[in-house]
Amino acid sequence: MAVIEVTDLHKRYADLTVLDRVSFSVTEGEIFGILGPNGTGKTTAVECVEGLRRPDGGSIRVLGLDPVKDGRRLRERIGVQLQDTQLPENIKVWEALDLYASFYAKPRDWRELLEEWGLADKRTARFGKLSGGQKQRLFIALALVGSPTVAFLDELTTGLDPQARRATWELIKRVRASGVTVVLVSHFMDEVEELCDRVAVFDGGRVVAIDTPAGLVDGTDAEHHMRFTLMDGDLVELGDLPGVTGVSRNGNRVVVRGRGDFATAVTGRLARHHILVSDLRIDKRTLDDAFIALTGRSFGPTH
Amino acid sequence: MTKLTFVELKLLVREPGAMFSLLIPLFILVIFGSSIGPGDTMLLPMALAIAVGLVGLYMLPTTMATYRERGILRRLSSTPVRPASMLVVQLILQFVLAVVSCGLLVIFAGTVLGAHLPTRGPLIAVTFLLGTAAMFAIGLLIAALAPNGRAANGVGVLLYFPMAFLAGLMQPTDKMPVILARIGEYTPLGAFRQSMQDVWAGGAPDPLMLVVMAAYALVISIAAAKFFRWE
Repeated sequence: MAVIEVTDLHKRYADLTVLDRVSFSVTEGEIFGILGPNGTGKTTAVECVEGLRRPDGGSIRVLGLDPVKDGRRLRERIGVQLQDTQLPENIKVWEALDLYASFYAKPRDWRELLEEWGLADKRTARFGKLSGGQKQRLFIALALVGSPTVAFLDELTTGLDPQARRATWELIKRVRASGVTVVLVSHFMDEVEELCDRVAVFDGGRVVAIDTPAGLVDGTDAEHHMRFTLMDGDLVELGDLPGVTGVSRNGNRVVVRGRGDFATAVTGRLARHHILVSDLRIDKRTLDDAFIALTGRSFGPTH
Repeated sequence: MTKLTFVELKLLVREPGAMFSLLIPLFILVIFGSSIGPGDTMLLPMALAIAVGLVGLYMLPTTMATYRERGILRRLSSTPVRPASMLVVQLILQFVLAVVSCGLLVIFAGTVLGAHLPTRGPLIAVTFLLGTAAMFAIGLLIAALAPNGRAANGVGVLLYFPMAFLAGLMQPTDKMPVILARIGEYTPLGAFRQSMQDVWAGGAPDPLMLVVMAAYALVISIAAAKFFRWE
């Protein structure tokens, strides 16, 4: 069942088209990624869905509600973590949770959330004294305190160190496991690849592809490399195998280039001819390759 | 709304600026209080104007602009609560702060200094309300126009000094050039101090002064509402 249905969403600021016929739908219980470089309309699109911005055209349905007309009823049922928001320096962790719980008709018990999100020992700490990771966990907990059906998490791991990012990913998986549909806005390929069931790739205000991360990678069909070292000098013909586009040899080092699943065919033939190889390595195709294939350019120097 | 008010009250108490805006006028009253006679009608109205000016020009805009800068107002608008609730709560609390500050001044002056206290409560209330409304309107306009909390703070302080000077809070108006004193009477803070002083002297405030304050409150808050952004 689709919990979010976006059709032909348009948004302009003065002369600048920020969103151009954006359509996507999010299914109940999934982690849906919105991926793209900074400034491609991801956040604007999500803010339209949340009812924080008014679209200029197109239709949006979230849990069957119109974010503009039924804003209040919708906000009872969604949880939001916004990019670049803070809390007052001097608010204590428990006060923030208690306060935000009071905004909703049927909130969760915030004491449970404190435990769940590992903030129990920071209960009386002030927001300004928390570490980046602790702040992020508090923001997720605040997004969940209204016991939402859908949670929107925008650039959750920006500014966190690698360890804190990994920890946050585990937390997001837990959110999905608890039955909440998650919309994850991110400009990190690895994050989306790790977490998302499906991804909408944004570029220049448009959705250029929607698929599973694996589907996006497979669909791009970019050429990639397979490398190995021959144990005893001889090599059979590999260039005629399906998918292989080139073979080059330098001493005992062999590099086979190809598309699709050519590596299986290569290893099959090597095995049939009893050719022993070592150091076999297949370059993993990533979402980065998929993005370059989709848009004709790299993500750019965002970091 | 009740919880929001309570939490914001706790935050206000934890804010060092709130303590300053209580202590600075009290400090001035203590310093100059020793040199006044029992019949003095000047010093306490001055201290009251300083107190209201500090809350309106410093506390209110800094808090509101900081909340917008930190995305707190935007975060609120993604919940079932309207961000306007925060604005209302802040206005109530800052008003309470101004009342507490002035209350402390009057109690201190009345007891320790044995200063003269007027008996015409309703007149004081009307003057206080109009003066506070005018200063809060200016504070809201600063909050509306300032890009962030620090800018709001800076603008508030920058505006405070010339306004306090013109209002005769830095020296008695009869020691000022006549033209400046005249102009000062028509500034919000000046009209407030003058009206308070009239009440303290046992008379009624000049209706023109009350109209001046009401006009400032109305016009400036309309401008503030027009320019205010939630994010």
